[in-house]
Order: sequence, then C-alpha cells, then structure tokens
Amino acid sequence: MLRASDRTFSRRDTVSFLVCLGLSLVGLFLPSAWGESIAATLRDSALTPFVWLQARAEEGRTSRSRFRAVTAERDSAAFAAQFLPAISAENRQLRSLLGLRDHLHTPYVPAEVLHQSSPTDARMLLVRIAGPVAPFEPVVSSDGLVGVVSSAGHDQASVMTWAHPEFRVSAYSADGRVFGMVAPSSGSSGTDAGLEFRSTSYRDTLANGTEVLSSGLGGVYPKGIPLGAVLGIAREQAGWERVYRLRPAANPSSVTHVLILTPPQAASVAPAFPGDSMLAALRADSARRQRVADSLLRFRIADSVLRAHARDSTPPVSPAASQTGRPARRTPVPSVPSAAPAATSAPVRRTETGDSAR
Amino acid sequence: MTVGRASRAQLVLVLAVLAILHFYLRPRLWDARVSPDFLMVALMVYAMRSRPGDAAIAGFAIGLIADALSPARFGAGALACTLVAYAASWGRAVFFADNLLVNAGMIAAGVWIRNVVVVIASGASQGEFIAELGIYGPLQALITAVAGVLLLLAFREWFAIRLDV
Repeated sequence: MLRASDRTFSRRDTVSFLVCLGLSLVGLFLPSAWGESIAATLRDSALTPFVWLQARAEEGRTSRSRFRAVTAERDSAAFAAQFLPAISAENRQLRSLLGLRDHLHTPYVPAEVLHQSSPTDARMLLVRIAGPVAPFEPVVSSDGLVGVVSSAGHDQASVMTWAHPEFRVSAYSADGRVFGMVAPSSGSSGTDAGLEFRSTSYRDTLANGTEVLSSGLGGVYPKGIPLGAVLGIAREQAGWERVYRLRPAANPSSVTHVLILTPPQAASVAPAFPGDSMLAALRADSARRQRVADSLLRFRIADSVLRAHARDSTPPVSPAASQTGRPARRTPVPSVPSAAPAATSAPVRRTETGDSAR
Repeated sequence: MTVGRASRAQLVLVLAVLAILHFYLRPRLWDARVSPDFLMVALMVYAMRSRPGDAAIAGFAIGLIADALSPARFGAGALACTLVAYAASWGRAVFFADNLLVNAGMIAAGVWIRNVVVVIASGASQGEFIAELGIYGPLQALITAVAGVLLLLAFREWFAIRLDV
C-alpha cells in the first residue's frame, strides 16, 4: 500500500504529466503561424547559444567527401562561367534588337543549413543567414530549388522545403510546351519521396528526363529555377489531366549551403502616380487648351459667316462679260468686322505655334 | 544520496556534456537523419533516474527544443518526448535501470517511438511513415543506443551501471 507521501508524489506526477500533455496538444493544434512565431521566439532567445554552437560546428565540418563535393561544384561553376561573357553579349544584342530592357539581376543572401536529428528535418530546415531575409523568399542550392523561407529571425530562418505537404510552385517543361503545378508526391503508392508535376494538359506528353523549371507565375519564385526531371507518368485522371513523377533537382537532406533570393531593388514608380501639384498643373493645362479650342471655334464660325455673307452679296455676272470671257468685277470683301474680337487672334496664333511645335 | 548513484550535480554535468555533444559533435558526423540524438540519450538517462512527473516535464522541454529547431509541426516533438519520458520513468519499475543492455534497449525504443509519434503527429504521408517505421527510425535508434552505451560506460561509476549481462 502506498504511503501518504508516495500518494502525493504519484498525484503530482500525474498532474505534471497531464499538464505537459495538455500543453503539447495545445501547441499541436495552434495555428501554424502562432507555432512558428513561438519557435522563432525560442530560437532568438533561449536557444541562441545552441544555434550558435551548431553553426560553429557546421563551419568546422571539413570532411574529405564534402571537400570533394565542393571542389566538383566549383569546377562545374568555373567551366560554365567560361562561356558566360559570350552568352551575355549575345543576350544583350538580341535584347537590344527586340527592344527589351536588361534582364533583372536577383540579389541573394547566403545561408548555412543546420540539420537536426528530427524525422521532420527534410520538411523544415533551420538556416543561419548572413543578412536580412523575409518570408516567401525562395531558397535555392547549386542543384535547384530547395524551398521557401517560412519565418525569419534575427540571424536564422526556417525554410519550408519542397517535401512539405503545403509546398507548391508553378512550373513549365524546359521545352515550353507544358505548364502545370509542382507539389510533393502524395506517397500513397510507394515509399519514395519526390515531386509531382500536376495539372498538365492531357494532349501533350513529356519524355522521361525532360527538365521542369519554375515558371515565375505567382511572383514568389523567379522564372527558370530547376525543380526536377521527369521520371515517368504517375497517374492519369480520366482523360483530363496527366500527373508526372519528378526526380527532385535538390536534396534538402544533404544540402549544406543555400542561397536565399531576395527581391530586386525596384525602380521608383512615383512618376506613375503624380502628386496633387502635378494633377493641378495638368488640369490647368487642360482648361487652357479647352479655352483655346473654344476661341478657335468662334473665329472659324465668324469667318464662315463672313464668307457666306460675301458670297450672297456678289452681283450676278453680266451677259457681255460672259461673252467676252473676262471675269466680272467682284465686290471687294470687307475687312474683318469688329465682331471678330481682336483678342481671339492671339490665342489662335499661340495654338498654331503650339501645334507646330508639337 | 545513495552511494554509487549519480548525484544531482553529476547528472547535470552529464546532461550538459550531452547537450554540447548534440549541438557540436553531431553536425560533424554523418547524415543528420541517422546521426545519434544525444538529447534523447540525455532525456532517457534522466527519465530512468527520476520521478515520472519530472521526466514528463523534462520530456516536454526537450521536445519544445526539437520543435523550435525543426518546426515542421509545432508541438509534435513535445508530445512525443513527454509520452516517451513518462513511459521510460514508469518503465524503470519494471526493468533494472542499472543494467547496460536495459539502458541501451530503453534508449533505442525511446528514439524509435519518438520518431514514429512525431511522424504521425506531423501528418506525414504513408510513404514517409513506412520509411520512418522501417528504415530511418530503427537506424537512428540503433546508433543512438550505441552512443548511449558508450556514454554510460564512460560514466559507469556515477550511474552504477552493472556490466554483467
């Protein structure tokens, strides 16, 4: 039989367990934004020394295989960079021929991935950043798209990778024929985690190995980031759409360094939205043009009335004149009457000057 | 304090060493998915030597750390670690806590159950669940158990570990 102190301890244990269990369940059913906010607060406060410690460990991790991988990446980049000046020059010439402006250059912030031992590590990555980033900024590696920033802190951020069930990106095939949406595979038919190219048109078929890139639609992911390559048809839905399996370009579990693409510095759009003073000036100019047009119209009406009056007062041609072939002597046209205001002539001249100047 | 049993200061020291190992040594090892989880070793060592209520609180704290560092589904890690730690603390009444193989088995089972609960609570697909259940979970559990055994052997005087199996 339990003693009184043991019973007290047992009750206290049960209460502690239930409180912890309840708090865990509350955290589990909180809105995801609240959960991420709490996690970011913890990372920026109590866990800062541990994150710093792990970042130092990642920096000091120099295994031979990793060195070989980095060297191979460097060699590939150097090889590709050899052809870059010629391609850039050609691109510039073609753009100038077509009248296109320069290609936008996307700035980036480098980041270091701090892998955790949690089973959900492939879905959400913790990265240590070297500059300010914001949510919904794409994260890429040398192989392709890794994910998107989910929440950002002072010097770290969490990244939702393509393996997360809520991940979506608009995409197109590299040959430009098929557009659709890339999402993580549902996994209902196998154990392999991968991507699916969904909502594609049924009339076009993609060959295996075709590269799929981000389309740039939606404004989150820039155009042209590699997402994966077609492995085959996953399923077809009653002649309506075809779903392809993709081999992902980047592997979030093994990536160590990533780039976070930040939005380019946009040019000022202030000229497109004139202020009050500019609007007032435009209105005054418009009113002046209207006045000028009205005075011009009055002058033309007066001129046409005078011409009609002069025509009516012309005497009929005499038969003798018609026989000799000489024209009849016309009544001189009177000068412009005072009905035509002298002031109207000045605006007319200004208008003509202005028009000719335009 | 019982002679041969770890004092509170010794226990805190070992837990601190494990925390440093987790954040400084583990990233230098191989792939993170199958690397030893030193925080789980610390949690199981503590849970098997403390009352169930204290173990549940420690499990909740460790789970909260895991959730903050890998927030796939906030609260999943806290729930899993609370359950595992509470069960491990009750389990010491059934098993011999000073036996090395019992400790290794408890650590392995704790890691595996923690992973399975986290995967279920975070809404993983069937494929992920099968992979965790059959491949990554057992691998990480085995490696973590080996790391736990090495640690207990290193501090066997403090934890009064019996080596006769």
